[in-house]
Amino acid sequence: MAAAMELRCWGGDWGLPSVHTESLIVLAYTKFSGAKVTVSPIDWTWKTLTATVPELLCGDSAVQEPTQILNFLRKQRFNADYELTARQGADTMAYIALLEEKLRPALLHTFWVDAENYANLTRPWFASRSPFPLNFLVPCRHANTALSRILLTKGEAPLHRITEVEGKIYSDAKECLNLLSYRLGTANYFFGNSPTSLDAFVFGFVAPLHKASLPSSPLQSHLRQLDNLTGFCDTILAVYFSSDHPCPPPPVQETVDANLQKLTQLVNKESNLIEKMDDNLRSSPQHKPHRPDPKPSLASEKSSTPA
Amino acid sequence: MSLAADAFVSQMAAAEPWPENATLYQPLKEDQILLSDCASSLAVQAYLRMCDLPVQVVCKANAEYMSPSGKIPFIHVGNQVVSELGPIVQFTKAKGHSLSDGLDDVQRAEMKAYMELVNNMLLTAELYIQWCDDATAAEISRPRYSSPYSWPLSNILAYQKQWEVRRKMNAIGWGGKTLEQVYEDVSQCCQALSQRLGTQPYFFNKQPTELDALVFGHLFTILTTRLTSTELAERIKSYSNLLSFCRRIEQSYFEGKSS
Repeated sequence: MAAAMELRCWGGDWGLPSVHTESLIVLAYTKFSGAKVTVSPIDWTWKTLTATVPELLCGDSAVQEPTQILNFLRKQRFNADYELTARQGADTMAYIALLEEKLRPALLHTFWVDAENYANLTRPWFASRSPFPLNFLVPCRHANTALSRILLTKGEAPLHRITEVEGKIYSDAKECLNLLSYRLGTANYFFGNSPTSLDAFVFGFVAPLHKASLPSSPLQSHLRQLDNLTGFCDTILAVYFSSDHPCPPPPVQETVDANLQKLTQLVNKESNLIEKMDDNLRSSPQHKPHRPDPKPSLASEKSSTPA
Repeated sequence: MSLAADAFVSQMAAAEPWPENATLYQPLKEDQILLSDCASSLAVQAYLRMCDLPVQVVCKANAEYMSPSGKIPFIHVGNQVVSELGPIVQFTKAKGHSLSDGLDDVQRAEMKAYMELVNNMLLTAELYIQWCDDATAAEISRPRYSSPYSWPLSNILAYQKQWEVRRKMNAIGWGGKTLEQVYEDVSQCCQALSQRLGTQPYFFNKQPTELDALVFGHLFTILTTRLTSTELAERIKSYSNLLSFCRRIEQSYFEGKSS
């Protein structure tokens, strides 16, 4: 569709196109899918208070929330998930749920609730990007929203105190980062050789943690040990957001016949079934090995080739 | 500091074997228990049966207040009390019973991701339908939740719970959704589960894991609970492999005993 699209989001810093997780997700997806959007940062405008960010304006319609925006772009035929199988699509949903449940509370805490980080990094940054007199209101409002979200979802009624959940949310977040690292392995992207919406979500969540200069963050030091995740962020920044060379073209989407699409899906299902039959034939029904395979330790992840 | 407490509990747990008189507490089955609590309780019961650990189910009206975290169900084993499926899985693992030992790291990552998907979508949708939909809240949830108590306590508790759940829904962004959107989300979640399950007997081929217990708990409860409309159950029934999955687990682990 040729209608011009405008994206409102927070501005960038620390080497990132935007410091706000949701805005980053949408920006990354537009690059992956080849959608042309004009980015209008809301910094230094009154929209810092009034607008819900990110927001995509296309013609008369305004779409908010990353999932809704991604759906909208897909309908406009900007689809980075074109080559995924049905099962990979299901995996995408599952991993996004994992990020939301396990990683988001800890990120909110690191940036908005932890006193040192908030006073030294987050509040000055957001205050400096808001016009007077909003610079007093905007960071406070975000911090309160973050705190109430953490307490309502993770706090155990009736003792709503943040200190009791801190330990739990950080250990959950570290586990989540480990799981992502295992899943990514040595590949460049989560599914094959071209990035998809899952890569956009992981990038949006992990990149601010990787790049921000946080005074105190055990979570950031934990992330720094996971080389493949930091390499993943750096690769995406270098390939899609660097101003030196142009972005690689998105996977070409010909106008595919609906029948051809159905046929492709059937063939995929058939090959999955054949794989499973093969597995069943191979594994003997009686004996299940009791010794689990020696699990590769995290140290072995360091041997993966950095970007 | 709660991590130190967890480690201590694990160590204590590892010391003793599983006793015969372990009990699981949940609200009253006929009159009081609600959809989301029933689903969580059934998931834990299924998990314990899959591990072959005996447990008696005891129904108490104040189960929610007895629970250490305020959530149903909780189990009383020896001299420890553990609530919710996640901590219970870790507790049984400390005692040496685990269903997911045979999985490699990538599979374990997938399993945890799908468990979060069920918690994020199905459980939240159940809570939304129970408490944020006015018709269901007035007809079913509030009367049932407050049935053991007399007026005016019943009114106060029911509205307090409703207010709490609505606050939580607003905080995570579900407050503005319509019922139709929630049903749509449930459909998508079931589609993802159905595609992941495919034609296999369990999610990770031959052996059931805690993911199977969790999915069974939620789907079976939704299919067998009477709500103001059957829309939710209809959406799930359109995925035949999920139906046969529920049937299979019910026959393997629950038949022959009244649960």
